Amino acid sequence: MGRIVGIDLGTTNSLVAVLETDGPRVLPDPETGERLLPSAVSFGPDGEVIVGRRARVLAAARPLDTILSVKRFMGLGLEHVSAEDHRRYRFAPGKQGALRFAVEGREVTAPEVSACVLRELRRWAEAALGETVTQAVITVPAYFNDSQRQATKDAGRLAGLEVLRLVSEPTAASLAYGLDQGAEGVVAVYDLGGGTFDVSILRLRGGIFEVLATSGDTRLGGDDLDERLAALVLAEVPEQLRDRAEVRAAALDASERAKRALTEAERTEIALDLPAGGKVRRAIVRKDFEALVADLVGRTAGPCRQALRDAGIGLEEIREVVAVGGSTRVPLVRRQMETIFGRPPLVDIDPDEVVARGAGIQAGILAGGRRDMLLLDVVPLSLGIETMGGVFTRLIDRNTTIPASVKETFTTAVDNQTSVDVHVLQGERELAGDNRSLARFKIPIAALPAAVPRVEVTFLIDANGILSVTAADLRTGRERSVEVKPSYGLTEAEIERMLEESIDLAEDDVRQRQLREARVEADMILQATRTSLAGHTPALGPGERQRIAAAVAALETAQASDDYVAIRDAVEALGRETEPFARRIMDRSLTEALAQRRLEDL
Amino acid sequence: MQPSVARECWKCRGETRGSLACPCCGAVQSVTAGTDLFAVLGLPRSLAIDPTDLEERYHAASRSVHPDRHQTATERERELSLAASAAVNRAYRTLREPVARGWYWLELHDARPEKRGQQVPAALAAEVFAAQEKLEELRAEPGRDGLRAEVAVLRDDLAARLNGLREELVAAYGRWRNDGATVLGELARRLAEIAYLNTLLGDIEETIEGEPRGTDRRH
Repeated sequence: MGRIVGIDLGTTNSLVAVLETDGPRVLPDPETGERLLPSAVSFGPDGEVIVGRRARVLAAARPLDTILSVKRFMGLGLEHVSAEDHRRYRFAPGKQGALRFAVEGREVTAPEVSACVLRELRRWAEAALGETVTQAVITVPAYFNDSQRQATKDAGRLAGLEVLRLVSEPTAASLAYGLDQGAEGVVAVYDLGGGTFDVSILRLRGGIFEVLATSGDTRLGGDDLDERLAALVLAEVPEQLRDRAEVRAAALDASERAKRALTEAERTEIALDLPAGGKVRRAIVRKDFEALVADLVGRTAGPCRQALRDAGIGLEEIREVVAVGGSTRVPLVRRQMETIFGRPPLVDIDPDEVVARGAGIQAGILAGGRRDMLLLDVVPLSLGIETMGGVFTRLIDRNTTIPASVKETFTTAVDNQTSVDVHVLQGERELAGDNRSLARFKIPIAALPAAVPRVEVTFLIDANGILSVTAADLRTGRERSVEVKPSYGLTEAEIERMLEESIDLAEDDVRQRQLREARVEADMILQATRTSLAGHTPALGPGERQRIAAAVAALETAQASDDYVAIRDAVEALGRETEPFARRIMDRSLTEALAQRRLEDL
Repeated sequence: MQPSVARECWKCRGETRGSLACPCCGAVQSVTAGTDLFAVLGLPRSLAIDPTDLEERYHAASRSVHPDRHQTATERERELSLAASAAVNRAYRTLREPVARGWYWLELHDARPEKRGQQVPAALAAEVFAAQEKLEELRAEPGRDGLRAEVAVLRDDLAARLNGLREELVAAYGRWRNDGATVLGELARRLAEIAYLNTLLGDIEETIEGEPRGTDRRH
């Protein structure tokens, strides 16, 4: 069995880590050594998929086909998409269930886009570890509901990863913090990422990390700060250009850089190149930026108070406040944390890497590598069913430690009824319609007079925070299978189909990439050969010119085909023919260069 | 209901001695539906519980049955681990909190009143009625700062009173030595009072802060 990796699948950046004997290690991109993979996916013509830094760069040129913050769309339906997001991306209309992005030549769901990011991280990990990776722990915002968690698990599966555990991001951060500092006591984790806000209150004791309460906002993050700045600069863009997707994308990108600059600097400038030529510049001082986003940052206070109240913890009991997520670098955010918790936050753990390190630790715990540590997490939102009159009846309260289960007995209302429909929802509101629908399922029941059948349904939330439902007929004691229809998730059949497609696609991808690379290589050697032949004809030996010309012609023929192996062979053949010649002219250049030097020395 | 963790390990046939995970082979045992929550954590049935001891038992039980510890086991073992872990969590959550423990005690003794917390305990009726009227006024005119301050004082008084009632309850748990009808009746009365005041406190907080009501108010 291979290593289990820990993955931080972030809104803005994603990372992969493993647990080594001396602690967690973040694994880098084998080519560039980068540790942060931008969670950007760009869909090009010819079905080509580009992930990471290059995709982020492409966002300005191909804004509709480049998905930047896919995490915001995990587990959602089309009806949850905001007006701003409708301006930003194209969505396939009319379909029920999981929403679909309409990108260059195809439709993709959020789990499929996330799977592209996961596949790239898997490649990084396999390169670093030198072995196949098939199992992972993936982090999710603590406040993610069942659909969002399920979507994350599906994304893992589509990327060829068995997701052994979903861990809440603040909880993962606390693992890294606890291992680092060997601390005991109550800790508050304030996690403001690119797109989500989480706060968790934990008690650390004897290696047990017990989450007491968690709260948050899955639609609040650094991206929202960028959008405020972007609106400022877009106001100065000529009206006819303002709504163009590439202008908005460029404005967001420039704003993000300005926000970072304002962490250190008191003032900066947002500069935006316009497609029609020309530039828009907007100077901004930190104080004005802070006034612009004060309400957004202020929105984190409510969830913090809620979590403290649910945990039954007073401020004086908190030993440390841990800052997680890149957005906690913003000075205003740090001041907000201090205002809420009455003490400055701990900021000496890298806020970008701490979640991934924690995921790596949890992967090690599952593999049996850390028997001393154990994580006890909670379900972030209450879970219940719709009852008479559209009322939401809670079955499992929020902040209940998971795994958690509850049993509920159902019966029939009319004679010979053969099934009971159950609608499961998640949320805190009194009316079913105000909460998020998770799934509907049908319990089969033997045809009997009304109120005679008794079916016991068990709702089980596993250690990933994901619900499963089983039913048993209390009269016969027989288990009954339950057909669950996810409201915004992918069905088993859809996942199977995507898996088949992605395997075809993956093979196609590899072939296409090899072909592109071989053609580029051929271009380079052809160009170099032509230049050398033109400049150094006297250096050619007898018959050499003919042999090289033949090799050039062969390569040109191969290059026109789709056969990358043939192109590579022809490149090698040409290389063999030109090598002696190249060595001679190199020697001559060197001699010339040395002669030159001597002249200069004189 | 009697403690019903299996006596003999299903896997190695060793004696479980009522433990959730077999002391010999570590296999998680099946927790029968209806297993007494005290027994799940190896405690005698008693209203009086030492919180430190309870937490230690909870941590020890979690270490032996949590799914994270059985990730590489067979599917059956992983299922048992999930079920046992859910039972351990439920036991701890219920027994840790004195009010929840009290309600569970009534349930164990078939003495739980129907629709708890919904009938107004007679002694509180007048007081609660007056408070509700004030809340109505404040909802109608949220801008009246004087009234808002008055309600805030009411909230603080109520919160302090509830704390007092909970402390008295814990003290009573230490005194009560039997589960006869008198004790059960007295317990039911105190719990109903707490539940009722808790609902009122929730209403007040909701009116003042406009925040959604917490979920723990039912107790």
